[in-house]
Amino acid sequence: MLDRVMHLLPPELKAVLERLPESAMEQLEEIRIREGRPLELGIRGQSRFAASDGTLRASSDGAYKPTADICRKLLEKITNHSLYAVEEELKRGFITVAGGHRIGLAGRTILDGGNVRGIRDIGGFNIRIAREVVGSGRNLLPKLLDKNRKTIHSTLILAPPQQGKTTIVRDIARSISYGHWGLYEHAAGWSGRKVGIVDERSEIAACVRGIPTFDVGPRTDIMDACPKAEGMMMLLRSMSPEVVIADEIGRPEDGEALREASHAGVSVIATAHAYDLQDARGRPVLRQLLEDGTFTYVVELKRTAEGFMHRVVTADMKDKLPVSAREPTATVARGEQVVGMQRGDVP
Amino acid sequence: MIKLLGAVLILFAGTMIGFQQAARLAARPRQLRQLAHALQRLETEIGYGHTPLPEALDRTADAVPEPLAELFRDAAERVRGPEGLTFRESWEQAMTSGWGSTALRQTEQSVLLRLGSTLGISDKEDQLKHIHLALLQLKAEEDAAREDQSRYEKMWKSLGVLIAVLVVILMV
Repeated sequence: MLDRVMHLLPPELKAVLERLPESAMEQLEEIRIREGRPLELGIRGQSRFAASDGTLRASSDGAYKPTADICRKLLEKITNHSLYAVEEELKRGFITVAGGHRIGLAGRTILDGGNVRGIRDIGGFNIRIAREVVGSGRNLLPKLLDKNRKTIHSTLILAPPQQGKTTIVRDIARSISYGHWGLYEHAAGWSGRKVGIVDERSEIAACVRGIPTFDVGPRTDIMDACPKAEGMMMLLRSMSPEVVIADEIGRPEDGEALREASHAGVSVIATAHAYDLQDARGRPVLRQLLEDGTFTYVVELKRTAEGFMHRVVTADMKDKLPVSAREPTATVARGEQVVGMQRGDVP
Repeated sequence: MIKLLGAVLILFAGTMIGFQQAARLAARPRQLRQLAHALQRLETEIGYGHTPLPEALDRTADAVPEPLAELFRDAAERVRGPEGLTFRESWEQAMTSGWGSTALRQTEQSVLLRLGSTLGISDKEDQLKHIHLALLQLKAEEDAAREDQSRYEKMWKSLGVLIAVLVVILMV
């Protein structure tokens, strides 16, 4: 995992991280760098502090503290020495670099008429190492199929942050685009569908200069770094997608665009932050969408030690919430190779 | 006979030194003009293209003739290098190591070094302001250089020959 982001780090920081134990390097998910404060690492969902000799500990005492100089060098590296070229990204608070890694930034904001114009004095970095898990949605996809239209039903995927929404939605996009409809036997002859992704955070496809760095399938078009509502309308007008995918919806205009798309005969797959369906109903935009019947299915995701677990419920508000156990989103036969998957992460 | 040969050699050398000085005087305003063009190109890349600096420097290098192109190309290469240099460090190294091959002087170098310490670390507007300032300073230098050229170019050409003649006369 670590070697994928090594080229971004200043030599001093690289030296510390290279001394980490092998297992920690493999399962590293987040590197949190705060100027003058202990270096924090996210390893398999747990927080650890790293000392300068590479040992990991739960308490922050004696941990390695990156200096202001290191932070300045890191900022130069991740912005490719060109702060002016990432002004829009700074406004949103994160930069996506080649490979789909998202680097969150924190610092003092610059305001312009009450709106955030950018961040300066950046003192906090959160490097989230992106991973591509091909086949992670293999068990989930067959449950969402629309047998009449030979495509996928409109689906809302719910989960708290860091539970694998983006990973799953990327795998679904790829499968639909390739026409790999999973285990469902009637879908054997179905062709792939044109997929349009509105990738506001550049996380699903991780585009670098408009070209996806993750494999999102041969029939996929991506509107990169585009506001979701506008991007969906643009895709509908210009690229005639059969499935539209958007990440992390939540604003009123997102809801409007989703409604528009679903009435245009396009299947919509969206993700949102919520623990479960009950939780989602507490958010006005999601509640309205669910009541309008924009989505046929709602998927609740959870990441456990055994991997991604999911539960599919129908979005119909009249139904009582069926209580069923969560199931894994993918099963991997013994010895089968899954690209990008780490042993122990997903069964 | 040997004296005659020596006199011819001295005359030839004196003339060449004079012409070379004159050529340096003529090259300076030309290179200053090219440098201004290069910075304007950089301004466009940053202002309209939002091109990241290493790439912007490469494109700038393609747009200007040698020896100036080498300065920009060298800076771009150093910043991409494995040592993890900051932009400022790579720019400074490139400007000092390649400076000797140009006809430019200390004042222009300090203008460029000052520009290098601000490039890449602020927003677009600020970047454009700094480039603009550097352009103004270079323009002033260029005017002065042109004046020098018109005043001293001819003088150096004849001075070289005349001094050589004087040396020959003193020898004889």
